[in-house]
Amino acid sequence: MSVAPVIHSEWIKIRSVRASWGSLLAVLVVTVAVTALVFATVGEAEAEDGGDLVKGAFYPLNFAQAAAIAYGATAVSPEYREGALRVSLAAVPRRGLLYWSKAAVITLTALLVALPTTLATFLVGQSLVGEHAIGLDHPGVLRSLVGGALYLVLMTLLAAGLTFLLRSAVGTLSLLIPFVLVGSFVIGDAAGGIGVWLPDQAGNHFFREAATGRLGPWASLAVTAAWAAVALGAGWWAVRRRDA
Amino acid sequence: MTTIELTALTKEYGGTRAVDDLTCTVEPGRVTGFLGPNGAGKSTTMRLVLGLDRPTSGAATVGGRDYTTLDTPLRTVGALLDAHSAHPSRTARDHLRLLAASNRIPTGRVDEVLEETGIAPVAGRRVRTFSLGMRQRLGIAAALLGDPPVLMLDEPANGLDPEGFVWMRQLLRRLAAEGRTVLMSSHLMNETSAVADHLVVLGRGRLLADIGTTAFIDRSSAPRVQVRTSDPARLRASMAAEGHEVRETGGARWVVEGATAEEVGAVAAREGIPVLELNDVRVSLEDAYLALTSGAAQFAAASPRTTTGTREV
Repeated sequence: MSVAPVIHSEWIKIRSVRASWGSLLAVLVVTVAVTALVFATVGEAEAEDGGDLVKGAFYPLNFAQAAAIAYGATAVSPEYREGALRVSLAAVPRRGLLYWSKAAVITLTALLVALPTTLATFLVGQSLVGEHAIGLDHPGVLRSLVGGALYLVLMTLLAAGLTFLLRSAVGTLSLLIPFVLVGSFVIGDAAGGIGVWLPDQAGNHFFREAATGRLGPWASLAVTAAWAAVALGAGWWAVRRRDA
Repeated sequence: MTTIELTALTKEYGGTRAVDDLTCTVEPGRVTGFLGPNGAGKSTTMRLVLGLDRPTSGAATVGGRDYTTLDTPLRTVGALLDAHSAHPSRTARDHLRLLAASNRIPTGRVDEVLEETGIAPVAGRRVRTFSLGMRQRLGIAAALLGDPPVLMLDEPANGLDPEGFVWMRQLLRRLAAEGRTVLMSSHLMNETSAVADHLVVLGRGRLLADIGTTAFIDRSSAPRVQVRTSDPARLRASMAAEGHEVRETGGARWVVEGATAEEVGAVAAREGIPVLELNDVRVSLEDAYLALTSGAAQFAAASPRTTTGTREV
């Protein structure tokens, strides 16, 4: 069997289930909406308070990651409804081909949405903070645009791998969403040094003018990548080993 | 000529043998009914053939090849495992299109099978709006998609109305007549006997019979006669003298075991016993099947390894 037909098939799977492509679209829509809302109300005041302007500009990506996680989970979870995975594996019995083709389609689609998302977040936000606006040439902005998109893709893949392992979107969401929205701050603050090794902490270290903390921005992103890799590896282990 | 070959196929789930040393070949050109009570191992066997479950020992192959090594498997085996496996928020057409894409099956084929299974008018509707019968037809459409020489259908008659069942029977007969291998599982004897030329019967994962449908009936039909008489006491006495047991079945009717109508009629005439009604009773296929599978169940119930319960398949 060859890769291209399986990739094509996986793409049809995503675009034919509303929950999947809806979550993907939500990454862009929710983030830009939150950006517009936040910056139109408190954007200027926040910018006047000083602090890291790049960090402020990309703050709404905290919400984007929740949508990215939802996409990763809902792109995989249709396989675990009733006997869907059996139908998929009957069509593509080489499990590695099926698994990594799906991962590739998720990566590609997430990247295609994540790049406009980070760009739109920055542009929309900066258009609403008046004289405090920074440009694309500001230190750290281009890095944050690209790295932010990669970060969203990695969180998507983390959720996708976990969903293969847990066989349920609900399981993944109820584990990851509270974690990135609440848990990580608490654990990160309480445990001090451990914080930088949590998957979602790259965000806190990435969107800065200058590096802070023990790990630099790219090293932080590598930590997130390692988590995504572990989750995908665990998902693959589960798919390869389990009876379908 | 593509056959399904099972060789000493065994599958255990945590100490329970769902499939136990199963060896048989499903031949092309006929409809093979795959029979057994719920939990007998029929679905597990089909999953093993498709490489969805891995055998504990033994092998299942299609045309001599492991299913998972086939290049475009949907063009070799069309399978219907579960009517609910199409995602409810997909349209029927999208469900078929994504399957076709994965095996390089031309998109035109999607419309052909939609027509063939009678669901073309609802192809653009989401599967969640489908009745069980329509889902079953969609599953059969998916199985036919690759125009495969082998069809494997798990309980395809589930949810079909009588008209749908007649349609499916004709479809399976035609597919078999075209020289394809058709394996159809069911736990219902009557619907199977209406379709199948050949039977493979499982009980507790074991092969109980691999036999032509007609031969199965003949083999299982012990002679038995039903009589209505106004003098049952003399009938009983004279039949006992011939070595046959007589039982009352209600409505003043009596059954003579192990005898034919000719024998009972001759004895009654000789003894001057008034006979009001006399006819041979054929054992129904269902009775034969139940006798066979209940025997297996009793055997299995006495065996300690089944105390962990069976997996619903």
